[in-house]
Amino acid sequence: MKQQDFEARFGARWDQLTGWLESAPGPARKAVATGLDAAEVPARYREVCQHLALAQDRQYSAELIERLSRLALAGHQRLYGAKGTLLAPVGRFVLAGFPQAVRAQLRYVLLAALLFFGPLLLLTGALQRYPEFAYVVLPAEYVDSFEEMYGEDTRALGRKRDADDDAVMFGYYIWNNVRIGFQSFAGGILFGIGTVFYLLYNGVVIGTVTGYLVQAGLATNFFSFTSGHSAFELCAIVLCGAAGLRIGYALIAPGRQRRVDALRGAAQAAMPLVIGSAGMLVMAAGIEAFWSPRTELPAAVKYGFGLTLWLLTLAYFTMMGRRGAA
Amino acid sequence: MLDTAREVPTPEGIELSLRLAGPVSRALAWLIDLFLRLVVFGVLGVGLGMLGKLGVALMLILWFGLEWLYPTAFEVWYGGATPGKRSLGLMVLQEDGTPVRLSASLTRNLLRAIDFFPFCYGVGLIAMLLNRDFKRLGDIAAGTVVVYREPATRHAAVPEAAPVPPPVPLTLEEQRTVLDFASRAGSLTQERAEELALLAPRLTGTAAGALARMRLLSIANFLIGRGA
Repeated sequence: MKQQDFEARFGARWDQLTGWLESAPGPARKAVATGLDAAEVPARYREVCQHLALAQDRQYSAELIERLSRLALAGHQRLYGAKGTLLAPVGRFVLAGFPQAVRAQLRYVLLAALLFFGPLLLLTGALQRYPEFAYVVLPAEYVDSFEEMYGEDTRALGRKRDADDDAVMFGYYIWNNVRIGFQSFAGGILFGIGTVFYLLYNGVVIGTVTGYLVQAGLATNFFSFTSGHSAFELCAIVLCGAAGLRIGYALIAPGRQRRVDALRGAAQAAMPLVIGSAGMLVMAAGIEAFWSPRTELPAAVKYGFGLTLWLLTLAYFTMMGRRGAA
Repeated sequence: MLDTAREVPTPEGIELSLRLAGPVSRALAWLIDLFLRLVVFGVLGVGLGMLGKLGVALMLILWFGLEWLYPTAFEVWYGGATPGKRSLGLMVLQEDGTPVRLSASLTRNLLRAIDFFPFCYGVGLIAMLLNRDFKRLGDIAAGTVVVYREPATRHAAVPEAAPVPPPVPLTLEEQRTVLDFASRAGSLTQERAEELALLAPRLTGTAAGALARMRLLSIANFLIGRGA
């Protein structure tokens, strides 16, 4: 068949599909405008694919081949690029997907927890005997500023005296803490080194501060500030770290896959952990900004609140999404 | 044929061609995006600044959103491209040619932190130069590519001329060559087109100059079946 006849015979059918694809996505409105029913689109798309193959094989002009490939590409994107609304997946993610993903990566979560809580507990304990060691780990001004933030005369726990108010700190905690979470995940692509560094570093710093303040007799102030948001924040640090370790390990030991493919699979498996952690960090920021600094509440109330959140968090990760899971 | 074209096989047994975008156009797109984000932050920042403390909080959250979520929001809900990419005719696709998905877009944009390391996309640039598909690390992990939205050279239709059958039978490849010549004829200078036409004496015979060019166009018209 000559190209001219080919175009004359099928041109109208191509134009119909083009028209359908160009009008915005959505089920209802197309059929009227183009005369093509949505149910016919897949068949029409396969027809175009076949025509493209024919046109290439018969060496029709580049213009026609280009026109058909553009149409085929648009059809391919519409048919295979299934996109849903966002809300239903969000609900499913919170109720089941996130805890399931965490349990699926349990090895990495435990390793990240070890890398983070290990130095944290170690330094907290060590500083009870050797408090001056804090000055080896952290600059002196830094240690002093912490003493100020949790000292007896502070009006808002966890802040310097000239610090800004709750809302500002809320914005700051989101901007800063979520960024750190994202970075410790991203560091995993350097064969896990970046993530290990972030986990150890945060463990060392937090452990030093905790240990120093406890031995300085400011434990009540410090823990009544931190207990509220500690569950969400510390778990999120560990989970971001676990996500980073997951992709780092895929690069180190890809198994029976190419490193690229292992990395891609790992990134997909790790992404729910990062997204969930970001949500937890935002909640932690809210608690840290509006609840934790309140000095008017008795410490026991704040401990109780913090403990409840820890129990709820652990229960959430161990129990949610069990039903219906494979 | 071109090393920046990537063929994607589809389940229907055809190959789609994606044209990959290189570091320079992507860097320009990033600069445009950076500029836009600074403008948005500047304009909204002035407004939020008047709200006092609450405004400062909102500004911090706004900057967080612009820094981390802006690319993903546009890539997923605005046709695969941030405004910067769009203005340069670029878009992000999955490697299989389908629109980029939310988790892939998040992956590539969160890993931007490492691609940016140590400064100004040092790691990302090295990765792109070492990679056949110009992928930075985020693209490798997410399985995405950055491509040109439209083909750069739009082939023109074969210009009309009185159809004439070729004096000798032509193979498919020879037919294709004549057709390619005909569709490019409009964008060539008259002199160059005539010069090229002289390269096919078996088709143009003794004709020279403008006549040889017309002869090839006529054969092309016959080949696509005009006037049959």
